[in-house]
Amino acid sequence: MKDLELVGDVTDFLLLEAELADASAYDEWLALWDDPCTYWVPCNLDDYDPTKHVSIIYDDRARLEERCFRLTAGGAHSQEPRSKVCRVVGNIRVVNPHGEDDTVEATARTILVELRLGRKSVYAARVHYTLRRTPEGFKLRHKKVLLLDADEPLGNMTFLI
Amino acid sequence: MADYAALVQPDRVHSAVFTSEDIYKDELEKIFYRYWVYVAHESEIPRPGDYCTKWIGEKQLIVSRAADGSIGIFFNRCRHRGAAVCMDEYGNANFFRCPYHGWTYNSAGDLVGVPYPSRYGEGFDKSTLGLARVPRVDTSAGFIFASMAPDGPPLAEHLGKAAGFLADFVKASPLGTVSLSAGTSKSAFWGNWKFVGMDGYHTNFTHKTVLDLRQRKAGASYNRGAGNSDKSANESWDLGNGHCRLDLTGRDKVAIGAASNTSIAAGIPDNADGHEYMRLMSEAYGDGAHEVIRRSRDVHIHVWPNLQLIGSQVRVIRPLAAGHTEVMSYPAMLDGVPDSINTERIRSFEWFSGVASFGTPDDTEVFERNQIGLRADYIPWLVLARGLTVAPQEDGSTVGNVTDEVPQRAQMKAWLRSMTSPEVS
Ligand code: FES
Ligand SMILES: [Fe+2]
Repeated sequence: MKDLELVGDVTDFLLLEAELADASAYDEWLALWDDPCTYWVPCNLDDYDPTKHVSIIYDDRARLEERCFRLTAGGAHSQEPRSKVCRVVGNIRVVNPHGEDDTVEATARTILVELRLGRKSVYAARVHYTLRRTPEGFKLRHKKVLLLDADEPLGNMTFLI
Repeated sequence: MADYAALVQPDRVHSAVFTSEDIYKDELEKIFYRYWVYVAHESEIPRPGDYCTKWIGEKQLIVSRAADGSIGIFFNRCRHRGAAVCMDEYGNANFFRCPYHGWTYNSAGDLVGVPYPSRYGEGFDKSTLGLARVPRVDTSAGFIFASMAPDGPPLAEHLGKAAGFLADFVKASPLGTVSLSAGTSKSAFWGNWKFVGMDGYHTNFTHKTVLDLRQRKAGASYNRGAGNSDKSANESWDLGNGHCRLDLTGRDKVAIGAASNTSIAAGIPDNADGHEYMRLMSEAYGDGAHEVIRRSRDVHIHVWPNLQLIGSQVRVIRPLAAGHTEVMSYPAMLDGVPDSINTERIRSFEWFSGVASFGTPDDTEVFERNQIGLRADYIPWLVLARGLTVAPQEDGSTVGNVTDEVPQRAQMKAWLRSMTSPEVS
């Protein structure tokens, strides 16, 4: 028997995260994250030891804060003007309702269209989320974004993926 | 052909050098398909039978280690009717078998098998039909270079003063070797390949947010932007043959292990692994270990035309069109050190470099704006006059203030020479 309420809560959270990222609402987006946390976009391969292989993004909490600070401080030329981003998050599944540390693990697919300076790019990814239950609701403990073109030469990826 | 000498003058260069598709095609012929260019690193093919595929311009190559350990570089093209015989980026194989009609080559490039050979006549000689080989291959400090010209100056002569920096770079390892084993950060941008240079003038402006982040961390003690101004003791160098570098050490003032004002290399942690690393380095290099580390951390060099070594990373530049360039970057892992030292190099790489990092995307953005700007060529000149009056030193190198356009002029000088010289010189 599926816990439909849990699936609904997870879906709500993932869609909120997607909408804040699309809106470049860096502060509100950052507020969804746990401390500690990991924001991981692997490079070349889907799975590896990130202490031994380079990533496109491998942010801990401190670096995630730096990322949001940089994008709001002014002078991040690669986001001036900002990317317009529109994503669809689908195929949402709760894969582990009772993870370590009172967490829920979920997977989804994301199709993301980015438009900047007249150029439109399309990205697709499998995403793995770990959400921690807290009295204030979920906090994003881990987000791992497996880009379809993680092993291809990429352009400007400084928007929130 | 364009009058290149009119396009490249001592203090200025014409936009067409960066925007013309004809010039781009001529650059491939005159520079990339003639002179020494960086192709791969020895650590990418450590064992016999290992191979990797790489590109010089539009030509795909197989870099292969033969059974006897020697390195051969072959054009990825079957000698029968031309199909590419290898599609993997990395692998190990005794044979490359063409998918079209089954011709088979060994890892030394020899044609060793032809299906149904009876239909070829008497004169058919397999020994003349091996994979076409890039005629000259040589290495320096583990970096593999190739030249498609059968004759010309040897690699050591081409590298000249740059060779010492390649050697310095790998000495961050107590074994004196690095491995490009941590993967490849792959990027492309819509701008000319020559924008990827050594520029000490842009840092405080293009990388405004990097300074913001450093200031955020360091607080009031941060001497913001001081290393990248006309008052700085940092330097820009023309090493000859188009090779150039920035010296961001402020003439040796940066203490070992301290986060330097400008260096993007990882520091050495003050923990058990950091101490073990220092012990291994002292064992390898004796009293000179600190100086060896300092020199390797501060390597910031462009090896003309397509290789850069910066702090702990290797960058390879490949032109795809006048306004389209691919850059492959590799964090260089040190052989023989505690794991966490290399992890720190990876994390430090990701901070500044890569398509979602805090540094290089702003460079790339500027390169793309350059390509837009250069098309508005009502007045077509780019001004390269900063520090024009600095005279060359006795050994032939030229040293200017870090913000001088010494490197840009060095590269355009080498460019002009390659584009106009009938021979590889
Ligand atoms: S093209 Fe390779 S065997 Fe025919
Ligand atoms: Fe830069």
